Amino acid sequence: MDEKHFKKIVDALVELKDTSELMLDLAYSSIILNSPELAREVQELEEHMDDLHTRFELLVLSSGFTPEESKDFLGLIRLGVVTEEIADAAAKMGEVVLRRLKTHPVLKLAVEEAEETVTSAIVSEESILNGKTIKEARIADETGMWILAIRRGKRWIRPKPSTRIEAGDVLIASGYAEGEEDFKRLASGH
Amino acid sequence: MDEWEKIEYKPIPVRALLVEMKNLSELMIDLAYSSALFHSYELAEDVLELEKKVDNLALLLKMNIMIAARDAKDAEDLLGVSLVSSSADKISDAAADIAYIVLHGIGIHPAVREAFERVEERLGRFQVKQNSILASKKLKELRLASRIGVDIIAIRRGRDWIIDPKGSDKILQGDVLIARGAPAGIDELKELAQGTSRELED
Repeated sequence: MDEKHFKKIVDALVELKDTSELMLDLAYSSIILNSPELAREVQELEEHMDDLHTRFELLVLSSGFTPEESKDFLGLIRLGVVTEEIADAAAKMGEVVLRRLKTHPVLKLAVEEAEETVTSAIVSEESILNGKTIKEARIADETGMWILAIRRGKRWIRPKPSTRIEAGDVLIASGYAEGEEDFKRLASGH
Repeated sequence: MDEWEKIEYKPIPVRALLVEMKNLSELMIDLAYSSALFHSYELAEDVLELEKKVDNLALLLKMNIMIAARDAKDAEDLLGVSLVSSSADKISDAAADIAYIVLHGIGIHPAVREAFERVEERLGRFQVKQNSILASKKLKELRLASRIGVDIIAIRRGRDWIIDPKGSDKILQGDVLIARGAPAGIDELKELAQGTSRELED
């Protein structure tokens, strides 16, 4: 396998893993915030995962490996399947909101009480996040919370490092419950 | 075949069961990836143990939901809880599938290691050196999650493992920490464990 092919496999695996975990966080967020938009985003990502997974498997299978190497390549295929399983579980969870089931208080409390939680906060004018890009804001390093999605007016934005945060944005974040307070303080500016 | 544990109804609040299922299923994914990344059979075996535990929790939760539903409206309200619990169960199954890859020596391709250096949430394994400020401190004193965005998911002490350590657990010199978190936090933890950095900012 040449270097280019190896890199493509790595890229695809990174995207599979990150997307599957993003879906999980978004699915939990959709339940807490009772947001059909977020739940639909999860369903769209699920379709994207299917394409990605197929591309990944084709890349692995076309690597031209020897019989001795086949075990390692089987491991790769299996890991790909696992990310797909996680994505399916997330999509299933998003159904709670899409089927217009009332979010049972127990459900909301359970997600909020868990070690890893999802939360949202509005960026105020005086927040130090206002006007910074996701990369500059270093929210994950500061608080241990990741920005999953940004709601700006009626639009949903999937944050990229270059995405600029504006006052009025609603940030949806996930992370360890301990970081939630710090995150809210960053967003509110006090 | 493994022994099947007898399952008996226990009155446990649905909320408590769901919180534990969510926590365990996510912990298991990280432990399972760690077992693959760090070639650890012990971690992989722990994941399989936890999988059995989640299975039991899922059954207990089902029974408690059945009892809680008195009419059609209750049933509709509780359906969401049931869906989320089966998702958590599925996630724990996925983690067990990773553990299976490790335990059956299926093989971890070099591309996996490479990929894990680029994913958003990193995993790290570091030994606590003698002059590390982490040594002899309780996790709740260190507050690593809020200070550097890192969570200790397991501690190996000699031949023993502490899985999902609690705030009251103490880190000792020589411990091997398995952690996950933001890349910068993982780098910071490495320096703290090695003793090359002795500062932990608030």
